[in-house]
Amino acid sequence: MKTEYSAPAVRIAGPSRRKAQPVNIIRMAVLLIGTVAMLYPLLWVITIALKGNNDIFTTTPQWLPTEFHFENFVKGTKEIHFWQMFKNSVFISILSTIGQVASSIVVGYGLSRLRFPGRKLWFSSFIGSMMLPGFVGLVPVFHLFSQLGWYNTWLPLIVPSYLGNPAFTFLFIQFLSTIPKSFDEAAKMDGAGDTQILWRILVPMSLPVVVTMIIFAFNGSWNQYLEPLIYLVDQDKWTLSVALASFASNWTTQWNYFMAADLIYMLPLLIIFFFGQKYFMQGLGSVNSAGLK
Amino acid sequence: MNSVASRKRDRFGWVKGYLHISPSILGFCIFVAYPLVMSVYYALTKWDGYNKPEYVGFDNFNYLFTVDPVFWKALRITFYYVLINVPASLIGGLLLAMLLNKNLPGIKFFRTAFYLPTVLPMIATLTLWKFIYQPQYGLANRVLHLFGADPVNWLSDERLALFSVIIAGLWQIGGGMIIFLSGLQSIPQDLYEASSMDGAKGWAVFRNVTLPLIAPILFLQLILGIIGAFQSFAQVQVMTGGGPNYATELLNFKIYSDVFGSKMFGYGIAEVWILFLIIMFFTLITFRFSNQFVHYENDNR
Repeated sequence: MKTEYSAPAVRIAGPSRRKAQPVNIIRMAVLLIGTVAMLYPLLWVITIALKGNNDIFTTTPQWLPTEFHFENFVKGTKEIHFWQMFKNSVFISILSTIGQVASSIVVGYGLSRLRFPGRKLWFSSFIGSMMLPGFVGLVPVFHLFSQLGWYNTWLPLIVPSYLGNPAFTFLFIQFLSTIPKSFDEAAKMDGAGDTQILWRILVPMSLPVVVTMIIFAFNGSWNQYLEPLIYLVDQDKWTLSVALASFASNWTTQWNYFMAADLIYMLPLLIIFFFGQKYFMQGLGSVNSAGLK
Repeated sequence: MNSVASRKRDRFGWVKGYLHISPSILGFCIFVAYPLVMSVYYALTKWDGYNKPEYVGFDNFNYLFTVDPVFWKALRITFYYVLINVPASLIGGLLLAMLLNKNLPGIKFFRTAFYLPTVLPMIATLTLWKFIYQPQYGLANRVLHLFGADPVNWLSDERLALFSVIIAGLWQIGGGMIIFLSGLQSIPQDLYEASSMDGAKGWAVFRNVTLPLIAPILFLQLILGIIGAFQSFAQVQVMTGGGPNYATELLNFKIYSDVFGSKMFGYGIAEVWILFLIIMFFTLITFRFSNQFVHYENDNR
């Protein structure tokens, strides 16, 4: 199975490998400058997060902290009830990830492996709905959910996840199409039902794309801003995204605390990225018929 | 196969199929069909989202086009934003992907470095850039200082604010880059060898080999980029609040403030329809235009 997704091992070194040395030096220089531009803001945040209250505002730029104030992380997170909102975000993101991935897998299986009238029409409707700008739905759905008494609760952030995600469904269908139907048929011979075929055979075989969906779903939920912003009123229900955006305006005098809190907010996604990178690149590559190396 | 048994299975399959896709059908009804129908009606009403909507005909659109002092400015700002942002991130992402597709020492590190900012949560990056743009102690002005330039009011200078927001967005150019990179890597090596044997170099190789083969990806990114850019919201809400003097008032942000700030639900939905039509228009134009240069591999067979 594995060889199917891996890209050719030898990469392009340009039409002429030996002649192009000066060109490569220019390339390296551009990449180095770009890398500094990409990484420096992040390093800057880290240094600010470690600086003392007065060190941030020195008029002569001071690039590195003279002493490390790790207590900023404690103070920063205490002052805004950070951990309460961290828990909120984790809870919402996990439930919403489970919902999106599970429902998309079930729908994807139905659309790609089962035969029933109207299948193609539904497929194009789901895919087509991705083209609809988010704001068209937002206001009527907001009103609907408010009528249901869901205003100022987490339900609008969690329940819709269980109603399938067109993009994930599409991704899963694409991947399923690379798995021969003979696997299903063999399992059916052995007496397996659809549920077993899907969860025992197809899902384990689709691990790269399932992991990709999990990463994307968690990412999306952790990132979600507009929905929590319009639905959640009470501060103790807020997610981190809303909390940090709000505190960025109020905390202009205590950047070091803010940056410390901001860094902890970034951490889960960074961890997921570094651990899931391999699967993620494969899963993304499956859309493109060649994996990334 | 026994025909009775197969018919039985077919009937059962019908139910089974619909059972499997029922979550998405429900989702489609709630998030697509229902809002589409209702928002046609709501756009023609005066409505605060709480009391009963009151039918006013085309008053909302009338006010929008002739009275509202901010609408035309918001529209113009939105167009600037899309017009600069989309090509910059597309072309930049592609050039970067081509650079990162070479076998240079430390290439994996470079790829990770460019991709890293896109992994961060958006609100984290936006708040981070807000501090980078802080006039007195922010990183942006300190860098300017290194080059001996005077400090600048990045986010509170009317002429600069939109530009600053776009620059902050380009920090996450790695998202497009990674997709282009995977596209470039799927180009068969022998095509490059063949073209270099024909004596093609640099631009000619790009024009005749690379570009046609990644055109479908380029096109998809263009469409998604346009749709996404027209709907940008958090960038402005977090960094500038639409100011100074509406200089960063993107249409989507105006809709948000009209609906959830001023409680003008009907009016906001009327604006949503304008935005929707604009996005549709540009998507269709891009589709038409793309027929001229995007050739899918299967077309030739």
